[in-house]
Amino acid sequence: MKALYNNYFRKNSKNDPVLKALESVPIFDGLSHKELSEVARLTHERTYKKDEHIFKQHAPAEGMYVILDGAVEIKDPESGTIFASLETGDFFGELALLDEEPRSASAHAIQPSRLIGFFRTDLLTLMKIYPELGNKIMLNLARVLGERLRKTNEELARSN
Amino acid sequence: MDPVQKIYRLLIFIIVGTILWRVFPFLAPIIGMLLFSFLFTTIFLQAADSLERYTRSRSLGVFIILSSVIALGIAFIGSFISNMGSQIKSFSQKIQRDDFSTSIENLSIGIKESLPNSISNMVPESEKIITIAKNSMLEVFQSVLSLLSSAGSFFFVSFMVLIFTIILLIEYHDFKRSLVRFIPNKYLEVGLRMIYNIEQQISKYLRGQILAASSVAILSIIGLFILNQLGANITLIVFIGIIAGLANLIPMVGPFIGMIPAILIALMNNIGNDAALSHQILGTIPSPFYILDVILMFIIVQQIDNNFITPMVVGESVGLHPMAVMLVLLIGGTLIGPLGMLFAIPAAGVLKVVIGEIVFVTKNSHLL
Repeated sequence: MKALYNNYFRKNSKNDPVLKALESVPIFDGLSHKELSEVARLTHERTYKKDEHIFKQHAPAEGMYVILDGAVEIKDPESGTIFASLETGDFFGELALLDEEPRSASAHAIQPSRLIGFFRTDLLTLMKIYPELGNKIMLNLARVLGERLRKTNEELARSN
Repeated sequence: MDPVQKIYRLLIFIIVGTILWRVFPFLAPIIGMLLFSFLFTTIFLQAADSLERYTRSRSLGVFIILSSVIALGIAFIGSFISNMGSQIKSFSQKIQRDDFSTSIENLSIGIKESLPNSISNMVPESEKIITIAKNSMLEVFQSVLSLLSSAGSFFFVSFMVLIFTIILLIEYHDFKRSLVRFIPNKYLEVGLRMIYNIEQQISKYLRGQILAASSVAILSIIGLFILNQLGANITLIVFIGIIAGLANLIPMVGPFIGMIPAILIALMNNIGNDAALSHQILGTIPSPFYILDVILMFIIVQQIDNNFITPMVVGESVGLHPMAVMLVLLIGGTLIGPLGMLFAIPAAGVLKVVIGEIVFVTKNSHLL
């Protein structure tokens, strides 16, 4: 029944824009097509209007987003500082996959956008079903965070 | 909101409410089936997720799990029916003989002798008791027969529950994703957390209950085995143990339901046996047909379960106050009967999570 359903009602996975977007995210580096499909199966596609908040600063954080289409701005609403302007293919909020701390900044769509949400609960499910795949994602996540830490250290050293 | 809009909303609310009120009786059986399917899905979800890791096909994993469970169920029920059939057959032969009447008469005389005169006069004559006992036994068998006649609808419901469970187990994560689609962007992350917490709450509760039920079943079997060594002559001890374990899933009332088959079988097997009739616990407390021994054994099993096993395996999984547990059970029992009691605690646990999240959202609405 599932095969029948997949054949007639679901898109061909090779041209799936969600899979293509996930492929370009470093957190999912080195994942096979099948593994990416398993990740895609657990993600949530969302549509945001212009100026709609994706999340607000200090809100409870549950996961990360990948921009499928559109543009998003990450900023500190108190000081007005814009931390990043992100476009199609970029991702943000990945720290929430690891800890339960509230969001450190706000994110809002600066144009109508389509995002893919991948949340901590999805990662936990994935780690339960496919521990090997979960480990790959965790290792990639650690690598991304490590790179950021190194860059921050370099910038700090430069500014001193 | 302008008044016309308010009136429209009120009208829509009344119309939808009336339609639901009228349609609910027709939908109730389907909702019941879906509830059971959801319950089974939650029980087997972890196993389906884990098996998917090895089989690489969720459908195959679900097939393996459900077919093993069904095979075990059929083996259990089939063997129970055939054993129970021969038990009833030999008992009905015993009833035909004079042993039954003699046993009941001896029991009634024994009771009369042990009671003070003023009370013993109130005990009916032994002949009357024999008639009452024979009639009530007949009633029990008639109820069993009527229960079997409703087996047809039971098989249909079971089949539908099985189909729903298969679909839900295979497509669980897709269903969840479809459900999440209905959550507005503003509440997405809070909603996801709520769903996850509800899943955790139910699965923790069910896992704990299954472990506790298994331990009650094993302890009951051991207890009955020990009683048999002391001469209780109780057959089908494995079945009685499993039934006691399953009955234990219904809090508070379940343990008493679990005792019934054991008492009945002790009575059926020992009727006509003078030694069993005059049996005394530790040579002092009279326990005709080992009935008091069986009750005591189940009370001990319950105490071990309540004080050691359940706190260890179930723990604070639902985190409800004992008073709240009793209230919730009463409400469930009054509304839907024994099924209501079975679902009352997990439903209350879910409600607790939902209320907790609603309170959180109300307090932190500025963050969403």
